[in-house]
Amino acid sequence: MSFFRITLHRSSIGLPERTRGVLNALGLRRRGRTVFHPVSPQFAGMIFKVKELVRVEEVDKALTKREFKASRTPDPGFYVEKARTRVDMGAGRQT
Amino acid sequence: MSRALFRSSLPELRSFSAARLRPTAAVLPFSWAATTTTRSFNSTAPIVEPVSVNNNAPNPTASQVRPLALKKSHPGAPPAPIADSVKNLLPFLAAQPGHYITVHIHGFPYLVQEGDQIRLPFRMPGVLPGDVLRFNRASVIGSRDYTMKGAPHIDERVFECRATVLGVESEPLRIKIKKKRRQRRKRQAKSKHRYTILRVSELNIKNLEEATE
Repeated sequence: MSFFRITLHRSSIGLPERTRGVLNALGLRRRGRTVFHPVSPQFAGMIFKVKELVRVEEVDKALTKREFKASRTPDPGFYVEKARTRVDMGAGRQT
Repeated sequence: MSRALFRSSLPELRSFSAARLRPTAAVLPFSWAATTTTRSFNSTAPIVEPVSVNNNAPNPTASQVRPLALKKSHPGAPPAPIADSVKNLLPFLAAQPGHYITVHIHGFPYLVQEGDQIRLPFRMPGVLPGDVLRFNRASVIGSRDYTMKGAPHIDERVFECRATVLGVESEPLRIKIKKKRRQRRKRQAKSKHRYTILRVSELNIKNLEEATE
């Protein structure tokens, strides 16, 4: 099953109520928001209604919110190779 | 091998197969069908068969219970081969003294040399002064005459870069006066950011034997 990956590229400010309603129905509340919807005639029609505002790709898999965040987060680029011995914080003092 | 298996399998299986499966022996695998027809299982005397000559040493732990999870269920991907151009040209870079490296920490580049001090623009959580960090994302390694660029990152087996956490610095307290219009009341918003200080303690370009092992 494939999905539309839809990103709101242009703001809906100043657009008719119908258009903003379509964007809300797609789940695009603000610029830059990306949503995934299954490929079906209903969603294709909605995308056609707002085709000047969104960028659409067809993908194989819908990402969850967490996966989408992870895909955009850069790698930390480091890891703690040798940690100094930690002293219990309850002892009141760190050495 | 199948004979040994069947001999070690349970006697009720034998009687079961003899009693119930005799009519359907045709659908059984060949060896099973052969054993069921050639041997008589109703006698209680043990069947002595010539043991096949086996040159292997006896397993000393044969009687012990084998642990179930010896194999990793998800072994890591095999290491990708290092490109030929890297193999050919890396020794030239490694031979020169004095390297610099662009390490990426949380996606932001820091161009450093060995001995440099970095003031990160944030306080790194979970580290204490004295911890040793190992950098594994770099985009550029260079020396006076050579530069190696990653696309977008350099293979982390090629270099070895470590940094020591020196401590936390803080900026002077910032005071921002917030005031609404047409009102005399002023409010102060204070902020004092903390920054982690690192020192690049080690930067080595590995030679190929180290990198490929």
